Amino acid sequence: MTTTTARPVRVPGSSRAPGRRRRVHGRDLVGAALSLPALLLFAFFAIYPGLRVFYLSLFDYSLTAPPEFVGLDNFRFLAEDPRFRQAVLNSLFYTVGTYLPALALALALAVVLRRRMRGLGWVRLLYFLPVATSWVAISVVWRLVLHPDGLLNETLHIDVNWLTSSSTARWALVIMGIWKETGFFLILFLAGLARMPEDVHEAALVDGANTWQRFWRVTFPLLKPITAICSVIAVIRGFQAFSPQVVLTGGAFDTEVVNLFVYKTAFESARMGRASAVAVLMFLLLIAVTLVQLRVFRRNDV
Amino acid sequence: MRRLVWIPVTAGGLAFAAILLYAAISALKPGGEVLAVPIEWWPSRFEWHNLRLPFEETPFARYYANSVFVGVTVTLLNIVTCTLAGYSFSKFSYPGRNVAFVVVLATLMVPLEVIYVPLYALIYDLGWVNSFAGLIIPAGTSAFGIFLMRQAIDSVPDELLEAARLDGAGVIRTLLTIIGPLVRGPMAALALFIFLMNWDSHLWPLLVASDDDHRTLPVGLAAMQANNLGASGIPMMMAAAVLALLPTVVLFLSLQKRFVEGVAMSAGLR
Repeated sequence: MTTTTARPVRVPGSSRAPGRRRRVHGRDLVGAALSLPALLLFAFFAIYPGLRVFYLSLFDYSLTAPPEFVGLDNFRFLAEDPRFRQAVLNSLFYTVGTYLPALALALALAVVLRRRMRGLGWVRLLYFLPVATSWVAISVVWRLVLHPDGLLNETLHIDVNWLTSSSTARWALVIMGIWKETGFFLILFLAGLARMPEDVHEAALVDGANTWQRFWRVTFPLLKPITAICSVIAVIRGFQAFSPQVVLTGGAFDTEVVNLFVYKTAFESARMGRASAVAVLMFLLLIAVTLVQLRVFRRNDV
Repeated sequence: MRRLVWIPVTAGGLAFAAILLYAAISALKPGGEVLAVPIEWWPSRFEWHNLRLPFEETPFARYYANSVFVGVTVTLLNIVTCTLAGYSFSKFSYPGRNVAFVVVLATLMVPLEVIYVPLYALIYDLGWVNSFAGLIIPAGTSAFGIFLMRQAIDSVPDELLEAARLDGAGVIRTLLTIIGPLVRGPMAALALFIFLMNWDSHLWPLLVASDDDHRTLPVGLAAMQANNLGASGIPMMMAAAVLALLPTVVLFLSLQKRFVEGVAMSAGLR
């Protein structure tokens, strides 16, 4: 049985046969090496810092001095810090206030804008435009829009000093956020609708369902997987928020979000360990919210 | 009845776009007319000179050049690393391949915001603070790019590659002559999306490259904004903001199909 046989000839596709042990050929080794540039970058700049953030959260660390082990002190501090609590609440306010309306608006627009009709491409384009802009540049623009004599007050004939008090500054950020993000989710919903089989709709039409029934009984349930993806992305984007808060208020007036709190803790107070602890909490929160959302959407699946 | 829906939808779209138009026109207004009450929609004369203000009074040209340089370099790096890794994960088999791919996908779940403190510490230890290396190298690959390129290369039939092999083409030549031309579409969408994301990137450049020589547009704009809060700075800031918006808006208008693909891809909706 162990006599020398001719080297097996590779058949196309045989390399992908599952569950079979086979020799790794020279060609495959070259193939394996091709993934190295990306894998090395991930190892150094994503996986290593990703693991180290857990480690650092247990230390008092200021970058210039060696880390000093403090156990769970950073977490204990955060649990009692009213400023951190406020930052979490502010992030929640921004996330819910911005993304719930943006998702609802995007969904409603998608249903209307999916149709093929003359001039429709242009209307779609108008909503997409803010997505192509950058947060900082657009925040600079919105400072002018929100100015007491700016576009918003002048067109609505109101007199609000948006960026100088807690009761209005957080709403200003939400208004701007809805403007910036609706188009993003509109793109996702339209992409989802485009993949939806047309015959289901036609069947409902034949069965005499009206527009409203067709939306709630056919379109919406079929859109559920996309709505799930959108809402997961929405929470992540909401908690990632940083630039608009920095440019519009610098975090003043109850607009200091979690991410800005991390930034200030790490780089203005030089508390890298404490900032890492916030990052760990943020990570756990995002994972938990993602899992809960996916569960909720799966349970109601048709 | 159906037509009635169009009125609010179109009006809403116009309102969305009006803000960008307002910014563009404000950038060209004479200083006194920017905040005139009641609002002056059309300036009495166009002050094209405003567009020169950011270049004359701040290192705006430098920020611009830095943003273009970093954006183009990061995009090219991503195209190379993601295509190579996608090719590797799709068309070769070796131990650990699937594990590596799953690990790459897992990093999609972790946004930069969660790891930037230790990442900064690493860059600090490497001596890359205030350097282009710190801006470019950590952004040199992306999980969704690898995922996308793997999907795209999966659709290239194995028979085609086998034929190339029989003709004596090596691994790299097959990639360049057979696969490359076939996956040009996804590559272009990836390039556009990476460039746009990089153009928007604020937090990381603020950390690793905040000196004047390395500042990118978002960091530079935010700094300019903080120094020009008074009314006299408004025309200059509007000009700067509009100039910073211009490349991505023009890219979007000329390549909107690819842009939309890129966004949809980023959510795995393809």
